[in-house]
Amino acid sequence: MSHIHIDVEDVTFAYEKEKEILTQISFHAAESDAIGLIGANGVGKSTLLKLLVGLYTDFDGSIRIEDIPVQKSTLPHIRSKIGYVFQDSDSQLFMNTVYEDIAFAPRNYGLPESEVARRVEQALRLTGIEHLKDKQIYKMSGGEKKLVSIATILSMIPDIILMDEPSIALDPKNRRNLIHILNSFDHLKIIASHDLDLILDTCGRTILMQGGRIVCDGPTKDILTNKELLESNGLELPFCLQRR
Amino acid sequence: MHMADALVAPAVAGTLYICSTTAAAYSIKQVRLDTDTKKVPVMGVMGAFVFAAQMINFTVPGTGSSGHLCGGMLLSALLGPYAGFMAMIGVLFVQCLLFGDGGLLALGCNIWNMAFYGCFIGALLIWKPMMRSGVSKTKITAASIIGCVLTLQLGAFSVAVETFVSGITELPFVTFIAAMLPIHLAIGFVEGLITAAVLLFVYEARPELLFCHCETERKDGRFSFKNTLVILAATSVLIGGVLSLTASSYPDGLEWSIERLTGTTQLEATGEIQKAAGSVQEFTSLLPDYGFKGSESELGTAFSGIVGGLVVVIVCVGICYIFKFFRKKKRHE
Amino acid sequence: MSKINNAIYEIHAIDALASKDRWVNRIHPLVKLIITVVYILAVVSFPKYDVIGLAGMVIYPIAVFMLSELSFWDSLRRLRVVLPFVCLIGILNPLLDKNTVLIAGTEISAGVLSMITLIIKGIFSVLASYLLIATTSIEKLCYALRLLHIPKVMITQFLLTYRYITVLLEEVNRITQAYSLRAPGQKGVQFKVWGSLTGQLLLRSMDRANNVYENMLLRGYQGDFMHMRERIAFRWHDMIYFLFWASMILLFRMYPVMWIIGNLIGGMLA
Repeated sequence: MSHIHIDVEDVTFAYEKEKEILTQISFHAAESDAIGLIGANGVGKSTLLKLLVGLYTDFDGSIRIEDIPVQKSTLPHIRSKIGYVFQDSDSQLFMNTVYEDIAFAPRNYGLPESEVARRVEQALRLTGIEHLKDKQIYKMSGGEKKLVSIATILSMIPDIILMDEPSIALDPKNRRNLIHILNSFDHLKIIASHDLDLILDTCGRTILMQGGRIVCDGPTKDILTNKELLESNGLELPFCLQRR
Repeated sequence: MHMADALVAPAVAGTLYICSTTAAAYSIKQVRLDTDTKKVPVMGVMGAFVFAAQMINFTVPGTGSSGHLCGGMLLSALLGPYAGFMAMIGVLFVQCLLFGDGGLLALGCNIWNMAFYGCFIGALLIWKPMMRSGVSKTKITAASIIGCVLTLQLGAFSVAVETFVSGITELPFVTFIAAMLPIHLAIGFVEGLITAAVLLFVYEARPELLFCHCETERKDGRFSFKNTLVILAATSVLIGGVLSLTASSYPDGLEWSIERLTGTTQLEATGEIQKAAGSVQEFTSLLPDYGFKGSESELGTAFSGIVGGLVVVIVCVGICYIFKFFRKKKRHE
Repeated sequence: MSKINNAIYEIHAIDALASKDRWVNRIHPLVKLIITVVYILAVVSFPKYDVIGLAGMVIYPIAVFMLSELSFWDSLRRLRVVLPFVCLIGILNPLLDKNTVLIAGTEISAGVLSMITLIIKGIFSVLASYLLIATTSIEKLCYALRLLHIPKVMITQFLLTYRYITVLLEEVNRITQAYSLRAPGQKGVQFKVWGSLTGQLLLRSMDRANNVYENMLLRGYQGDFMHMRERIAFRWHDMIYFLFWASMILLFRMYPVMWIIGNLIGGMLA
């Protein structure tokens, strides 16, 4: 087995004492897994993603990234392995130009400027946006911003990519492009989304959540075609299957 | 109200830059960024928030006019005086550069007039003491209004002093003050109400965001009071010193400019200034003689000025054209 | 509210100008910053009756407008912000300063002269700032500030504020549009919703700041920011540009060049 994997065991988490957001979450993800994380609004998908990168560390249970436990002291190490794409691109892109933003992470890891430049070029190439290199962020469209957001984490050369609602606010063409790009990555991916068609197209495995618990974990084809299971958890069949 | 570059003399602008820089340096030290790295993005984004929120027009009931938010007071009630001050500097800097609101030279004055009073006086002398024994709706309203009124009064007073010391207006100082302060009393009250409304909303929704809310008194907290007073005292001495200096060495700057206009002597005038210092009466009595009587030359001074001006402008434009022409040629080659 | 649209438009317009690849845009930002400050200092330090001397300072805006190919008319929009207050103060001078100066046989009120110089000072200083920002991007300007040892924290915060101003302006625009659609005929925001409307925006901005912070953490941020891809090198023509303008400004500040030339011509004619 390769070294890239995530182990989550019995994780329970609450922002405030009585209100548990996540209850006894356990799963294992291996290299080249592409996992779709689905569930109705407010079932704890985003919270789970944030726990994986240690934005909250006061949870019960254990989370290990490549055998390193997620705790305060290991955060810098863990975060260098994981790229997290936020739902809101404007929060993700806080520098003023594309280049500066993509270069932010490699610079923080103390790479020399020549290597930073190489990483930026590479990230731009992987996302197919070389032409945006020196563009001002505020002038870009939603689709462009999303691709730049992805490029900002690719420049860290992460082992694992986490995404929160990547297709939200994208038009069909940009969405298609995004799916294409996602499929070209062979990283361990976890994608939280309501866009079940996107999950169907990009993820081989799906985790269905309801009320802070994992209801179902299995091949995407089985879960996303199970109308009863989806509807009992506040979801619907993917659009491409509804017509049939 | 933003001071414009044209309203400040270099000495005044410099003095206020020194004051503002000192306050900024002190704030940077106090914000403790090394331990709280979160402050940087919070200051940045909240600065942008104040900028955007100041664009909202609030209708003042019963008057038909509109008011705006008081940024300094609001920011320091949320972020504390030091981080609030730094965020306000960012706002003023961007306003000055992007929108020509204020000016590069007057930036020091504007930081002092708007950010310093709002953040240091408003937060340290009013907000903090009032909230020490617990926060309540009444207290928030009272502190916001008192804070805004006071900071705006101080700001308006400073604008008047700065303009006056710069020798810009002929208006007697007292008249100037009498015109500025009452207007800003009303503005301050409205801004206070708006700021209070926003802070009350935050208090209801997310009270933990407010500065001083259930904050344990830190050791250095007690000293900030004293430090503010020390800064205030030091700056008033500094400003006072520069004020008297400028006032004595340039009674008006009147004399040599008149001489230049009328074309008698030009640059030796520096010595003359010293002589003329304080002798305004002697000076006014000289005025009638200054007129150009057409005895020395057929051309009047003003006319010389106009002809000279035209030549200078034409030469300047011509050189630019030639310069551009050669650059274009070079590019085409 | 059109004020917000104006502000957004202004930012876009300035940014488009500053990112052009013109000769003036490529001058080292520190040189341009210093020249601008020196120029404004020279302008405002003119004595209050010295109209002719001050008029000589027009060469800098003329030359830079021509070299940068900026539109003079566009820049006039910026005057509306500061000029009213300057004029208000200046307009009282003719009423209060009853002294008169005799020029070419006509009596001219000293107050009128001081009003004119004040307004000219106002115009020149605003134009100079405009010429700086319209030929220099904010990033480059921040680089220049960094060279002047302005603390990194402040510069980072400037850049963040600049970055989020457009985002939040759009948000305010949406909110006020939504408000005015449901409250037709109101000029501004009604008293009852002062707190909640702005407060909502405030809380969202705080959340955004929090998101930005989390995002920075996830990308290795440890309290230090590194900007600017490459250093902007000083080149020989930056030096020439600096020396040229520094000496021109000094020359026109020290000597009434226009008057001297006019007199020379007058002498020749006579």
